[in-house]
Amino acid sequence: MIKVVVVGGGWAGCAAALSAAKAGAQVVLLERTDLLLGTGLVGGIFRNNGRFTAAEEAIAMGGGDLFVAMDANTRHRGVNFPGHSHASFYDVTTMEPLVKKILQNYGIEIKTRARVSGLVKYGKKIQHLTFDNEEIITGDAFVDTTGTTGPMGNCLKYGNGCAMCILRCPTFGPRVSLTSKADVKEIMGKKADGSYGAMSGSCKINKDSLSSELKNQLEKEGMVVIPLPENLKKSGMLGKKACSQYAIADYAENIVLIDTGHAKLMTPFFPIDMLRTIPGLERARYEDPYSGGVGNSIRYLGIAPCDSALKVDSIDNLFCAGEKSGILVGHTEAVVTGLLSGHNAVRYCLDMKYLELPTELASGDFIQFIHKQMATEEGIKLRYTFSGSIYFEHMKTLGLYSAQRGEIIERISKTGLTDIYNTCLV
Amino acid sequence: MLIKLPTRCIDINSPYCPCLLSETNHCTFCSHLKGEATCDCNWSGVCILYEKQWQLKKDHWGSTSDIDTPVRLEAETKFSIKEQIAADTYVLTIEVNSELAQSLDKCGSFVFLRRPSDQQFYHFPVGVMKITGNLIHVVVETIGPKSTRLLADNNNQVLVRGPYYNGIFGQPWIDNIDNGKILLIVGGIGQAPAVAIVRQLVKKNNHIKVIAAPGKVGQIFIADELTDLDVQLQEVTSMRQRGMRYLSDCLANSQECPDLIISAGPDEQHYGVIAVMHAAGISLPMAATNNNTMCCGEGICGSCQKVTKDNKRVRTCKVQTDFSQFIQE
Repeated sequence: MIKVVVVGGGWAGCAAALSAAKAGAQVVLLERTDLLLGTGLVGGIFRNNGRFTAAEEAIAMGGGDLFVAMDANTRHRGVNFPGHSHASFYDVTTMEPLVKKILQNYGIEIKTRARVSGLVKYGKKIQHLTFDNEEIITGDAFVDTTGTTGPMGNCLKYGNGCAMCILRCPTFGPRVSLTSKADVKEIMGKKADGSYGAMSGSCKINKDSLSSELKNQLEKEGMVVIPLPENLKKSGMLGKKACSQYAIADYAENIVLIDTGHAKLMTPFFPIDMLRTIPGLERARYEDPYSGGVGNSIRYLGIAPCDSALKVDSIDNLFCAGEKSGILVGHTEAVVTGLLSGHNAVRYCLDMKYLELPTELASGDFIQFIHKQMATEEGIKLRYTFSGSIYFEHMKTLGLYSAQRGEIIERISKTGLTDIYNTCLV
Repeated sequence: MLIKLPTRCIDINSPYCPCLLSETNHCTFCSHLKGEATCDCNWSGVCILYEKQWQLKKDHWGSTSDIDTPVRLEAETKFSIKEQIAADTYVLTIEVNSELAQSLDKCGSFVFLRRPSDQQFYHFPVGVMKITGNLIHVVVETIGPKSTRLLADNNNQVLVRGPYYNGIFGQPWIDNIDNGKILLIVGGIGQAPAVAIVRQLVKKNNHIKVIAAPGKVGQIFIADELTDLDVQLQEVTSMRQRGMRYLSDCLANSQECPDLIISAGPDEQHYGVIAVMHAAGISLPMAATNNNTMCCGEGICGSCQKVTKDNKRVRTCKVQTDFSQFIQE
């Protein structure tokens, strides 16, 4: 039987494991920490702007299980907030067990607290991976969904230090990139000022620490916009953000809170004593990162060079997805690329032609657009997402953005990719 | 038990980390402090780059410290000759403060000694045999210009600098074994570190068998000590002729085959043990004393550097690795 090993249990890894299992492979999903979803444990926003199109494309292609699970676990749907339309917010506090269950139902073997620390390759093929306890795991194809952030030294050098985020490096050990262990030179994203990396763009505040009026309003409406007092309108913070879709003026002049189970604060960090001068936030404390008053994780410090099929350059049996595959933001983007990489890992084992998503689809155009942009000095300083900033504009220009389910299903049907991820290839 | 020994600096996360090597991007471990752009250390302990950031605030070895600022603990004190074992071999006891004494109470630890009035380059490394109270016991062979100088003209003044820790390759094996069966091969001056090794191993209920040869020292001066520690001692007149055969017999007998072999003695003895293991067709973890020439002890001067089979250069005063990985010179 074909064996696909997926390393990294974030949204991208979960999606890759799912599509590889659907395509008929035996799948092992390895996760360094004790929880799946990675930074998706503190994410929550989906279906906003072009992410609606991308999610519906994935569903029509037969890879919708994870979006269906998010929909089923949604706290608020159809919310409009500054710069964003028809957003849904899944509940970050209850999402993980649900995803785990879905993957297990597909027969995927999930190993948590399994930190890969090295690999052995012969020529251009990875033979096996080694865990930090010297055990090994073999496979026919591998998917690198290890992300691009942490260990602590990176957050210290390129950010404000370890802010004790959900990645929990001190507890579970540093993230190790398969691509880099396979001696492939990785690409590093840059900030607008040319320095490396970008800071994660939001923090979670404990909802019980808000005033009861604010908490009620947040739970009722899904989001709250509070104008910042004049003295707190800060400058220079926006360039550091990973999530360029929120790097617009509204977010520099207002505090935007979103109900994802916690109160998601749409800024990378915010000194707690200043935060507490805002009405309703007098008792506020952070839930993630714990030191959200000081900093946040730094990402995009190790992107794998790859093609449109998401195969990593110069290694025959290594695929990648999520942040590892390009400077992209968000779990919709992670799932879309994850599905493709897991599917192509199986195609590799069967010696089949790789699936490339056509540019008539938002998800196909997205992957090609990012890879083209990343080759330019300006493009490497930007972040790409279906939900805003440069790519959403591009998507609208090409007429790829749609919030009509029927229209999207029709598009997929025209490309002949309906239910492609549901097809067992083996 | 760990089969493979990671190459790792002995000083990681100690009060002496990050060290002077990090100032010039020559840390043996942290990729950032080697001058690389991102993390690639695979270390789950306290981040060394972080440690450096915090220590900078104390100006540990910063720009304001001058060349006389000691990099480790230093004590100017007196020593006494406890026993003369052979023509040029002495057991010395040196009284130091309790901080230095306690920090040395671990097998594999060593100090640098010199006459306080001499130039810095006179200092030489000596392995610690044992610590009793605030007394360091060491064995010195006065054969080179540095060690001879220490005992010349009835001198009894000494400057001690320490602690240093990388006296034994394979130290993690010794640190992590309990209720194990250990075979300790001891030759000549290697008797001194053997005492420290046995004292540490007996604490964890290990069963230790010692094969000891007198070597150039001419006697097994640790025999009483070992008997007191309740280990099984097999004295042989010659390690080469008798000891290795005895070792070979032990390895052939599955009842006696140990979990860990430790070789305390010259490099020729270490290679001899490896050859016997090869011949017996078994591969056991082997710890071995570090006999390399050391001048600075801080990874700077390079006098202790050795090359491994995968062509890495290892500064052995600081870096732990498996002795069998070194290229035999």
